[in-house]
Amino acid sequence: MDQRKVLIHTRKLKKYFPVNKTTNLKAVEDITLQIYEGEKLGVVGESGCGKSTLGRVILQLYPQTSGSCVYHGKSIQELNPTYIQKEIDHLKKYQTKAGEYYQESLKIDKNIEQLEAQREAFDVNGNPNDAKKYDAISKKIAKEEFKSKELKKNASRQLREGSRSVGSLILCENIDEIADLFTKAQNEVNLAHDCLMKLNDLQNRYDENAVLIVEKDRVDDDIQQLINKEELNEAEELQLADLYATKEKTEKLDLQKLIQENQKLEPEIKQLKEQIKKHHDIEMEYRTQAFEYRGKNILPITERTFDAAYQKKLDDNYETGINLSKLTKKEMRFVRKDMQMIFQDPAASLDPRQSIGKAIEEVFAINTMMPKKVRKEKTMQLLTKVGLKREHYYSYPHALSGGQKQRVGIARAIALDPSFIVLDEAVSALDVSVQAQILQLLNELSSEKNLTYFFITHDLGVVKHFCDRIMVMYLGNMCELADSKELFANRLHPYTESLLDSVPRLTLQEDRKEVEILEGEVPSAMNPPKGCPFHTRCKKCMEICKIQKPDYIEAKPNHFVACHLYSKEAL
Amino acid sequence: MEKVLDIQNLCATFSIQKKDYEVLHDISFSVNRNETVCVVGESGCGKSVTTLCVMQLLPGNGKIKSGSIYLNGTDLTKLSKKEVRKFRGKKMGMIFQEPMTALNPLLTIGYQLRENIMNHRGVNKSEANKLALEYLEKVGIANPDKRLKQYPFQLSGGLRQRILIAMVLSAQPDLLIADEPTTALDVTIQKQVLSLLNDLKKEMNAAILFITHDLGVVAEIADRVVVLYAGRKVEEGTTKQIFKNPLHPYTIGLMKAVPNVDLDEFVIQPIPGTFPNITEKIEGCRFNPRCPHANTCKKCFEEAPQMLEVEPGHYVACHLSK
Repeated sequence: MDQRKVLIHTRKLKKYFPVNKTTNLKAVEDITLQIYEGEKLGVVGESGCGKSTLGRVILQLYPQTSGSCVYHGKSIQELNPTYIQKEIDHLKKYQTKAGEYYQESLKIDKNIEQLEAQREAFDVNGNPNDAKKYDAISKKIAKEEFKSKELKKNASRQLREGSRSVGSLILCENIDEIADLFTKAQNEVNLAHDCLMKLNDLQNRYDENAVLIVEKDRVDDDIQQLINKEELNEAEELQLADLYATKEKTEKLDLQKLIQENQKLEPEIKQLKEQIKKHHDIEMEYRTQAFEYRGKNILPITERTFDAAYQKKLDDNYETGINLSKLTKKEMRFVRKDMQMIFQDPAASLDPRQSIGKAIEEVFAINTMMPKKVRKEKTMQLLTKVGLKREHYYSYPHALSGGQKQRVGIARAIALDPSFIVLDEAVSALDVSVQAQILQLLNELSSEKNLTYFFITHDLGVVKHFCDRIMVMYLGNMCELADSKELFANRLHPYTESLLDSVPRLTLQEDRKEVEILEGEVPSAMNPPKGCPFHTRCKKCMEICKIQKPDYIEAKPNHFVACHLYSKEAL
Repeated sequence: MEKVLDIQNLCATFSIQKKDYEVLHDISFSVNRNETVCVVGESGCGKSVTTLCVMQLLPGNGKIKSGSIYLNGTDLTKLSKKEVRKFRGKKMGMIFQEPMTALNPLLTIGYQLRENIMNHRGVNKSEANKLALEYLEKVGIANPDKRLKQYPFQLSGGLRQRILIAMVLSAQPDLLIADEPTTALDVTIQKQVLSLLNDLKKEMNAAILFITHDLGVVAEIADRVVVLYAGRKVEEGTTKQIFKNPLHPYTIGLMKAVPNVDLDEFVIQPIPGTFPNITEKIEGCRFNPRCPHANTCKKCFEEAPQMLEVEPGHYVACHLSK
C-alpha cells in the first residue's frame, strides 16, 4: 500500500528514568512509529510529554529501556556491525539451546502420559479416597502440562531471538557453511576498506590542488573588494589578514604543475573506486548466497519449525536495517554522521570563544580525513548555503543575531550530508519574522538533499504548515498520528481537539466561536493515571477509559489514534 | 474615559561604553480603565524597556532622557526613589515572564502572599491570611489552604503564574503590567491564564498593559495594540483596526510571518533581513532596510516618518500612508 521507504522504525520504544529504587519516570511509553524517507514528521505536545526524550532516544543519546529502534538509511552490509557477526556465531548456540528445551519438554510429555495412565485406574464414583487421589494427580498433570508448554515457548523464543538479524537462517542444518560464507564476506569488507583508505589519500590531494587553483584565481579580487570598503568590522579585518596570507603562499605556486598533477590523479582515483565497487559486489554475492539457505534444509527442532507460517514469522522478524540499540559506541558514532540534531537555543550550542568557521570545521576535522585547505573551503561553501557570508567564517558567536546563530547550527548539522535530522524546538526561541526565514531555509534544504526531519515543537501553527505528518503525544504516549491536513480537518482524539482549540488565533474575538478550555494540568509521569493517560482531563471519559489503556488503531487509512471512542468494542 | 496610564513622548537611553544609545524614541500611548493594551514587537524592540520605565526599574546604565509617564495624574519620572516605592506594587503591579524566578524558593507561597498583603494593605497576619485565600480563589486555584503551605517548587508553571497574578492583585493596583506572562507556558495552560486575565479585567475593572511577541495572544486579549519596531512606535489602533486593516509594512510583514492555524494553504513569507542592533545607525525610517516598499519612496531614507491618524484611534508612522 505504502510505497514510501521507511527510514526509521521503532517498535514499542520505552524510556524510563529511574528516580529511586521503586519509582521510574515513565518518559516515553510504547512508541511504535515509522518515519519515512524525505518526510517532515512533526511531534507536538505539552512540555513534559516526552517529545524531546523520544528524539534523543532515537539518536541513542539516551539508551532505551526496551523496544527496538531500527535504522534503514544504511544497509547492514555497509556498516557490518559486530552484533551481527556475534549473532551468526551464536546461531548454533541458539539452535542447541532450543533443541534442549524441546527435548526436555518431550520428556515431560512422556511423564504426563504415564500420569494419565495412572489416573485412569482410579474409580472416581465409588471410593471417596480414590476421588481425592484423582484430583491430586489431575493437579499434577496440569502443572506438568504448563511446564512443557513453557519449555516449548522458550524453545521458539530462543529461535526468534536469534532470528532478528538472520531470519529463518537459524533453522538451517548446515550452519557451518553459512558461517563460512559470512567470514568470506567479511574478508571482502576488509579489502574494500583498505582500498578506501588509499582512495581517501588520493582524493584529498586532488581536492587540495583544486582548492589551491581556485584560491590563486580569486584571491586578488577578494582583497580588492575588501580594500574598497570604507569601514571594516572585526571579522572582515581577520578575513583580509587571512587573504594576504594565502596570497603569499599561492604566489610561489605553479598553476600548470598543479593542473598536471590533478590530471594524473584522476585515472588512479577512478580505478580505486571501481575496485571498491568490485569488492562490495563480491561481498553482496556471498551474503545473498548465505540467505539462499533460508527456508531450505530445515532442522526439526520443534514441531513448529515445519510450519511455513512460523518460518514466515521468523523472516518477518528479520531486520534489514541496523538495530541502533545493539551497536557499540564506536559504531553508533559512525551511524550518527547520518543522524544529526539541531537544538533550541543556538547560543548555548556554540562556544563563545570559538570562531564560527572553527566551530563548523571541527565537524570535518573529527569525522573526515580532509586536509585543512579543503575543510576550510567546504566550510565556506556551507556558510553560503545556509544564507551567511564567507566573512562570517572569522566572526565569533556574539557578533551574530539569534537567527544567524541558528543558521550556524543548521550548517553544522548538514555538514556531513545526513539523512535524518532531529530538530528539537529549533525555531521556538526565535522571533516570528526570523522564524519564518529559518523555516524557509529548512524547507529548501530538505527538498534539495532529501532530508528527513523529526520536528519537535509546541507551536501548532508551525507544524501545520511545515510538516507532512503530525504525531500528538501526551504523557509519553502517542495519541494521534495523521497527515497534517487530515489531522487539522478531522481531529479524532479529545486531547488533540483541546490542544488545537487552545492555540491563540489571529482572528478577532468577535469572529470566534466559543471553545471550552481544557481544565487541569498534566499528571506526573512518575505516577501516571491507570487506563488511558488522558482520562483525568477528558470530557468524553467513559468507564472503560479508567481501567484499560486504549490500543493504537488505524481509525481511518493512515490516521492512527489511541482512544476508546474509536476502538472496536465501543463501536 | 479615565486614563490610568499616560505615557507622553518617552525617550530612554542606554549607555554602552560611555556612549548613549537611544532604545526608546518618542513613545506615547495611554491605558484606560477596563482596557487591555498590548505592546507587540520583536525581541530588542523596546517592549520590556517600556515597562521598566513605567515601573522605574531601569538598570544602572539606562535612563529616561525626556518625556513623562502619568499614573492617575502623577508624573512618575519626577518622583524621587523613595516616593516611587509608594507606587510600586501598590498602584502598579507587575507579572513577570518566568514565575519561578519571581518567587522565592525558600519561602512558602503563604508567607510570600501574606508579606505582600500586609505591606500594601496594612492589615494584621490573620486578616492577611483571609485575604490571601480569597485572592487565590479568585485566580481559580483549587483548595487554596493547602497551596498556602506549599513551596514554589511543588507547583506547576501554570499554578505559579496564577499565584503571581494573585499576589499582584491583592495589593489592588490601578495598573497591571504583564511582561510576557504566558511565554513560558504550554498552549493549554496559556489559554487558561489568558481567560483568567480577561475575566479579572471585567470583574475588577482593571487597566492592563500587556507585553507579548505573539500576535495570537494579542488577538485573544487586547482591546488596543501598540506595535513597536527598533524603539519606535510604528502603529497603534484597536485590535480590530490592526488585524483587519494593518497599515505599516512591518505590521503586515509580522501578520504574514505567523503560521496561521486556521488557513489551509499558507506560504511562509519571512520579513527579509535582520533586526537592527541599537548601535546601528539608520537614516530616515528605521524599517527601511527590510521594507518591501522602500525602493519606491525616496523619503524613507531621508526623513523619519511622523505619527499620523488615518482613522479615529488608528495611528501609523509611514510615509506611504499619506
